[in-house]
Amino acid sequence: MPDDPLQPDPDEDLVARARSGDTRAFDALILKYGEKLYGLVYNMTAHKEDTYDLLQDIFAKAYHSLPKFRGHSSFYTWIYQIAVNMTLNFLKKRKRRGGGMSLNEMDSAVQTDPALVDSSHMANPEKQSKLHELQKRLNEAMLSLSEAHRTVVTMFDIQGLPHAEIARILKISEGTVRSRLHYAHLQLQSKLQEYWEQGI
Amino acid sequence: MKPSAEEIGALLALKRHERPEEGFLDDFLRDFHQRRREEEALKAGPAGWWHRLSSWASGLGASKWAYGAGLAYAGAAALFLLSPSPVQVQPTPTVPAKYQVEPAEPTAVEQLDAVDLRPSSQGTTGEQEF
Repeated sequence: MPDDPLQPDPDEDLVARARSGDTRAFDALILKYGEKLYGLVYNMTAHKEDTYDLLQDIFAKAYHSLPKFRGHSSFYTWIYQIAVNMTLNFLKKRKRRGGGMSLNEMDSAVQTDPALVDSSHMANPEKQSKLHELQKRLNEAMLSLSEAHRTVVTMFDIQGLPHAEIARILKISEGTVRSRLHYAHLQLQSKLQEYWEQGI
Repeated sequence: MKPSAEEIGALLALKRHERPEEGFLDDFLRDFHQRRREEEALKAGPAGWWHRLSSWASGLGASKWAYGAGLAYAGAAALFLLSPSPVQVQPTPTVPAKYQVEPAEPTAVEQLDAVDLRPSSQGTTGEQEF
């Protein structure tokens, strides 16, 4: 996702058309980035309905703010930043409303995430069951992290953003990003220790 | 034994392949357009100006408080300037005016003196005293 100032924004044409009122151009941008942003928001909220509603708000905000988009960054960086900020605000509100999310409320789909099921283990039911358990533990461990730590883990480990980009989006130093990641990894290691010892 | 940071990273990286359910984006686009139509209808209605004002204010960030304070100050100043000025008391003229002196009404005592308080008729059953 990092912006290269020498490279033109690949969405320049779509953005220009969307700004002039071409709704199909904006639809094309939704289709292009909807799934990527879904991954970001879903891993931060761990809730399918919240993710859906938030994504609606994020794209609506981007649509209304298009006239303000100056093109200093790529469209994707711009909307990604909107998505991160709006999701963090949502998590703060959710925490105030209900004291945070308990693990019982965690979306069942997160617990049975097929992404973690390695196809090489499909033939081995015992191994597959352990992987499911590990995956469940990993998701639980992710939810036990603070919002700040879960955000950097989502952006770095899951979305693959470099430290500098995360620092720029979250408006924190790169050192803080590294420190949060280090702490979050220690937490995850500790939470998964028991299952790791059993071997998979 | 704990998993290493690299192993944790590798496990988390598998989550990159998470995708929403099939048909998600079709439903999403349909709802997105529906919502936009509703917003446009709302903006066209009488509540539209308030909606636009609140959207504008929410986009200002922290500077909205400065705008709010400025508006409140301007409102107070306008109220002060437009409010009616206090009534000026004109000094009474010192030149004596010509008055036609009317004879004063007789006082209540003088009126009583004029009234005949004698009993109009003598009672037959007893003497009356005044």
